[in-house]
Amino acid sequence: MVARVAGVFDEKLTEAIANSKVLVVGAGGIGCEILKNLVLTGFPNIEIIDLDTIDVSNLNRQFLFHKEHVGKSKAQVAKDSALSFNPNVNIIAHHDSVISNDYGVSYFKQFNIVMNALDNRVARNHVNRMCLAADVPLVETGTAGYAGQVELIKKGLTQCYECLPKAPQKSFPGCTIRNTPSEPIHCIVWAKHLFNQLFGEEDPDQDVSPDTADPEAAGDAGSSALSAKESETGNVERKSTRTWAAETNYEPEKLFTKLFGDDIHYLLSMENLWKKRRPPTPLVWDNLPGKDDSPAKHSGLPDQRVWSVHECAQVFAASCKALEADLKGRPSGDHLVWDKDEKSSMDFVTACANIRAHIFNIPLKSRFEIKSMAGNIIPAIATANAIVAGLAVLRAQNILKGELEACTSVYLRPKVNHRGQLFVPERTLTAPNPKCYVCAPKPEVALACNLKHLTLKELNSALKEGLNMQAPDAAVEGKGLVVLSSEPGETDHNNDKTLEEIGLNDGCALLVDDFLQNYEVRVRLQQEDEEKSWRLVTELDTPMPAPKEDKPANGANGSNDPKPGPSRPKDDSDSDMEIIEEDEGVETVKPPKRRRVEMSDEIVELC
Amino acid sequence: MASLSPKSPEQNEKSKQYDRQLRLWGDHGQTALENGHICLINATALGTEVLKSIVLPGIGAITIVDENNVSDEDIGSNFFLETTSKGLNRGSETLRLLLELNDAVQGHSVQEPPDQILQENPDFFKSFSVVIGTSLNEKLIKDLSQYLWDLNKPFILCRSVGFLGSFRIQFREHSIIETHPENEKVDLRLDVPFTGLSDYFDSIVISTLELKDHGHIPWIVILYKAVQKWQTTNLNRWPMSRKEKNEIKDIIQQFIRSDENGVPINEENFEEAIRAVNTALLPTFLPVKVQDLIYSSAAINLTKESNPFWIMCSALRAFVEAEGKGNLPLRGVLPDMTASTEHYVKLQNIYRNQASVDAEIVYRKVQQIVSQLQCDSISETEVKLFCRHAHDLHLIIGSNIALEYQTGSPVASYIARHLEEPDVMMVHYILLRAADMFKSEHCRAPGEWEPESDIAKLKNCVSKILSDVSCSPFPKDDHIHEMCRYGGAEIHSVSAFVGGCVAHEAIKLITKQYNPVNNTFIYDGASTNSATFTF
Repeated sequence: MVARVAGVFDEKLTEAIANSKVLVVGAGGIGCEILKNLVLTGFPNIEIIDLDTIDVSNLNRQFLFHKEHVGKSKAQVAKDSALSFNPNVNIIAHHDSVISNDYGVSYFKQFNIVMNALDNRVARNHVNRMCLAADVPLVETGTAGYAGQVELIKKGLTQCYECLPKAPQKSFPGCTIRNTPSEPIHCIVWAKHLFNQLFGEEDPDQDVSPDTADPEAAGDAGSSALSAKESETGNVERKSTRTWAAETNYEPEKLFTKLFGDDIHYLLSMENLWKKRRPPTPLVWDNLPGKDDSPAKHSGLPDQRVWSVHECAQVFAASCKALEADLKGRPSGDHLVWDKDEKSSMDFVTACANIRAHIFNIPLKSRFEIKSMAGNIIPAIATANAIVAGLAVLRAQNILKGELEACTSVYLRPKVNHRGQLFVPERTLTAPNPKCYVCAPKPEVALACNLKHLTLKELNSALKEGLNMQAPDAAVEGKGLVVLSSEPGETDHNNDKTLEEIGLNDGCALLVDDFLQNYEVRVRLQQEDEEKSWRLVTELDTPMPAPKEDKPANGANGSNDPKPGPSRPKDDSDSDMEIIEEDEGVETVKPPKRRRVEMSDEIVELC
Repeated sequence: MASLSPKSPEQNEKSKQYDRQLRLWGDHGQTALENGHICLINATALGTEVLKSIVLPGIGAITIVDENNVSDEDIGSNFFLETTSKGLNRGSETLRLLLELNDAVQGHSVQEPPDQILQENPDFFKSFSVVIGTSLNEKLIKDLSQYLWDLNKPFILCRSVGFLGSFRIQFREHSIIETHPENEKVDLRLDVPFTGLSDYFDSIVISTLELKDHGHIPWIVILYKAVQKWQTTNLNRWPMSRKEKNEIKDIIQQFIRSDENGVPINEENFEEAIRAVNTALLPTFLPVKVQDLIYSSAAINLTKESNPFWIMCSALRAFVEAEGKGNLPLRGVLPDMTASTEHYVKLQNIYRNQASVDAEIVYRKVQQIVSQLQCDSISETEVKLFCRHAHDLHLIIGSNIALEYQTGSPVASYIARHLEEPDVMMVHYILLRAADMFKSEHCRAPGEWEPESDIAKLKNCVSKILSDVSCSPFPKDDHIHEMCRYGGAEIHSVSAFVGGCVAHEAIKLITKQYNPVNNTFIYDGASTNSATFTF
């Protein structure tokens, strides 16, 4: 079918394509385009993997899917659609997560090229490591609105995906979320936590009730208030929110009264909190602002009108009922997963966030805006995806011809820059960072924490969250003592012991490895009394080869780079608010100084 | 509670489908797109890829002009053709499959040759918002571009041949109200507060506020008060220098309360005020770019045919000279800040109200002009949008494609300059044009039948173009050989890439948002280099 092209491509390329095998990770906006381009270029063997199903909001750009496909597997439908146009290609579709033992290093080794068309950092990090371990060239792609980029990652030759620090994902202190919200985002995070408490996967770190351990409230009347409260309300504080809600049959009025009445009264009793803050105002179900208002007129989309508190309460009631019915219809022990594109989930979070905002005197937002913030939505359009996918497949051709040196990173700009460039290329490949804690020959990183407080369980999540490992094993260097094992149950008995109790001290090193990722890193422990949780200290910002672009190289901002983690970044001078929460499928769009200007995703679809 | 009816403002299906792009260009951008009608000449792989990326986001209608029947080569390079399409009209076949992508889009297919339409029924082109042409020969390019220039219709000429691709955007002028600047400046008028604002400032006395209110007053108020205090000892001047701004910071520092032990209380709003000193104290002024626009002859000498942009510029000038006292209408947007809802909403309303008062005045002036000229009316929404973005208005003056073919024109010497540099991307441009000329003379692409004998013929075309721009012939023939080797074939990925770019720019033109490329883009897929030129 690719008749004429055979004459345009030289023999070497034609042959290389005929013998190639390509893996496409992600069948979203860019993935669909890449698949089409590969098929029409004559690539005979393609595998495509995506765990997602098709949503209505995909249809504005993911052209292999039509309305009748909503709810079906992206990978499968993409394959079927592509084959209907060219049945001679061998396409294998996996409706699965790429982060799985089924796709180990040997799986990756069978491909000549891996093409990333992903929408989240966790999966990108993982595929990056798999390709480094398998030594397969990886073409990494991404778009955000009118912008986009394509880059090659090849072990030993180029930077890997993790060679440069990414902007940390912002998280908020628990007590701000639970006790003293001051911005809309605090209420939105709280509402998402509440969703999980009531309907989703329960996570003790996502408690939504008043936090009595708030240091600011210390020595407060709160504890005495607690006992008074207990007798009044029948000790509701002791139960998990889910249990309590189930017992009350998810009765909206009762839930409302507890969440937006009783709990707020309780917060008010923690008087220290309100000495220099405006105290919150508890709400009563029967008497909500906006009750008697006539329906507001609004031009534009209905979603962009801000609801009154009364309307929020109505939406709250309706969505609670709908979500409860959904939960009840599932097998026991199953839970809902929050999805910004699911009506009731999004209604619930909008309503709860706004009711709470009203209570704390914080401006209310429209459902449209809250969806952006809660879902961390990055705009996505067909044209940018088409451009990036076209570039990506042309890069794949270069790679097959052995012209790796030509595959420098390219950035698509929203508008032509002062040098007349719509596409800004790096002049040469960017060499690997010798200090990278992923692709350096002997990767190393420091973990700052308080050894007296950090438990092994917390260490485990630090390795998973901070170093993006899937199943870490850790042993003490020089002693061979295994402190963490990925075998279920093997080291569980140590879970609550602190690192100090296990015999680890300042300067100690752990050899941590992840079997699936075939990745080993030496983690030096660094005692910091003030550190409440943990923080990675990397040397990624130490001087790098001089930038090849003519932009000022003022990117180096100190040596210690805070990595995503539960402790709040210390340097918070940048006033651009980032709407980020610890969430799978979340990516911060924050241009670092030099590279990865649009290091965002195609879209955030996975969560 | 029985009255509780679940009446969540349900999103309609359309806003769900377009959610990810509405966040980029808004519902008015979407409306503009849905009112758009694109005409494509020749449904090649490139042409079809362009339409694909415009149909998906929901263009109103597409019309494909294509007289050709589907060949094997077409099926090989075009995703929107099936093996069963062979021998059928290429335009109607691709149209059928393209429309499956989005049932909201209207489609038409016209099987007449475009040069015939141009001769017999040129009015045909009047109804489109943008005309896109691909795989055109040189004669048609010249005739069509001249006709569309006279008609004042945007035209995008695009090409995909082998590893080379290009597009050229032609319009007379393109005005952009929403440029989406990376850093939109705030418009707070602290130096020239309007009545509502100064009344509000005067109603607040920082020193007498209770502590919990103290932490909730917007930083704008704090900054204003600090400047007021500073002015008492500085002859009511406005702080401009770094030193003076530091003095303002010191004053704000003094506003911060201390606790019973004399330790300053950490109040976020005061910190925000200190951070804002450097940016928010910039005096209000009329940007030079906007001044040039409102005093340009197009805005002064209006006619019945003047487009709405110029009518609004004219009304804007009248506003600046009268009610605005030298300044633009207030933008009316308040940045996010630490403040109680009460304060925030009050302040927000003060800015919003003044902005709508200003916009109302401009709107009335627009109405006056419209009734004087007896031209089409302009909606209040349009005028409001215009006023909201008045600080960032942008105009691009385009150029006629025909100029590229004129010997001795400034464009010819521009081309020559780049060829002498030597700029290999300009060499590609020459080759693409030579291939167009070859097509006009021989009714086929160079190399399509006989690569060897076509080399000399193509070389002739190249020489002709080079002598037109007064340049010496290329020292080597390798680019000519390469072009003949392509044989006019399209590489799908190159077409997909260029197609994405053209659709990208077409959407910028139709939505009148973001600055489009001005005006030529050349791409070489072999080296993956690209360049833009302004002819």
